[in-house]
Amino acid sequence: MKIKLTVNGKKYQRDASETKNLLHFLREDIGLTGTKEGCGAGECGACTVVMNGKTVNSCLILAVEADGCDIQTIEGEAKDGKLSKLQQAFHKNHAVQCGFCTPGMIMSTRALLQTTAKPSVEQIKEAIEGNFCRCTGYQQIIEAVQDASGQLKKKEGLKRA
Amino acid sequence: MLQEFNYLAPKSKNELYTLLKKHAGKSRILAGGTDILVELHNHWIAPANLIDIKKIKELQGITFNDSEGLSIGATTVCIDLINDKNVKQYYPLLADAAGRIGSPQLRNRATIAGNLCTASPCADMGCSLLALGASVELGSADGVRVIPLKDFFTGPKKTQIKPHEVLQRIIVPAEMAGAKYGMRKLKRIKGHDIALVSVAMARTKSVMRAGIGSCAPTPVVTGDLSPKATVATVISAVEKVVSPIDDVRASREYRLFMTRDFVEKIYPELF
Repeated sequence: MKIKLTVNGKKYQRDASETKNLLHFLREDIGLTGTKEGCGAGECGACTVVMNGKTVNSCLILAVEADGCDIQTIEGEAKDGKLSKLQQAFHKNHAVQCGFCTPGMIMSTRALLQTTAKPSVEQIKEAIEGNFCRCTGYQQIIEAVQDASGQLKKKEGLKRA
Repeated sequence: MLQEFNYLAPKSKNELYTLLKKHAGKSRILAGGTDILVELHNHWIAPANLIDIKKIKELQGITFNDSEGLSIGATTVCIDLINDKNVKQYYPLLADAAGRIGSPQLRNRATIAGNLCTASPCADMGCSLLALGASVELGSADGVRVIPLKDFFTGPKKTQIKPHEVLQRIIVPAEMAGAKYGMRKLKRIKGHDIALVSVAMARTKSVMRAGIGSCAPTPVVTGDLSPKATVATVISAVEKVVSPIDDVRASREYRLFMTRDFVEKIYPELF
């Protein structure tokens, strides 16, 4: 089925297989492999993208359902070779270890920051409720989002070398 | 790639009825897809046709009026219910319940009607809609029938929907608008997890009910109790309708204990 969609501001028109999910469509048909597949069943959030301003599990959406939609993925973050403020905050606050959950984490927190300029810790926790991290631990991720929204005081959080 | 199926996206209710009749027993309805795509991914189902109902305007939206009450269209997703001003004002229990479902990603996509049609014993919307005395409207080429939600569930993952029918809207009666309410959901972690026990209660000037999830083969509800019923009366009515099992997530005894505990905690919030 022919579909048209916008990904990170760029318009695409493709003949999408009806049995392909949006995740595989983005990775294989558009060539954007930043979005990851974890469980493939809507549990882990590794495949999170922002669709029409809302976070969704791209593994649970057919590519054909995204016809006419506006999609944001991790590839839309860095501009002209420079990391976004949110990505820089993840880097600076050690919110990345293996990195597999990071694209999903960034998209969930990106959607939060689009509606809430200065989210509380509770709001950050709720926003990443559907994103599993199995190595970094969530504290650094929460601090990164606080930092990106200008809320991290210098001595707050874990002390690091 | 998922297994082969035809993707159909009708634009009107009549077109949908025709497709459902033509492909009865060989099709599944696709709304939010948060259950169906998991079932396809795991090869639990193999429908020849997947019928996407999201393009049908007649199945969209939430409306409220004083005579009928609240009408929740089939393609209404959790986040729309949570943010709806009539729901917030008249049926806050529903916003509370929808906010407890899954994760933000799922709440942005999963439909209320789909939660009922999946008919899991732990359906989060089940116990709250049961406590509010909701009904469901099923449509097909043969006509429309409205049945009380308490008769809709027939077993785990089983409902009264016939293969050629669609759940087109959920109706919550006007007399339950402004009901006092309370809800508790027991789960292992705060956030994305399914209920070990959930209890939702609603009380107006004329009736009190408790809906319970994860404690029987389907979500269940007490009969219509007096708004003056004592907590002991409510507990005994609840114990008559629940029949929890031991499973990997909790024992029968723990579930019974927590059901009673939740009723005791919610009860004072209803006055």
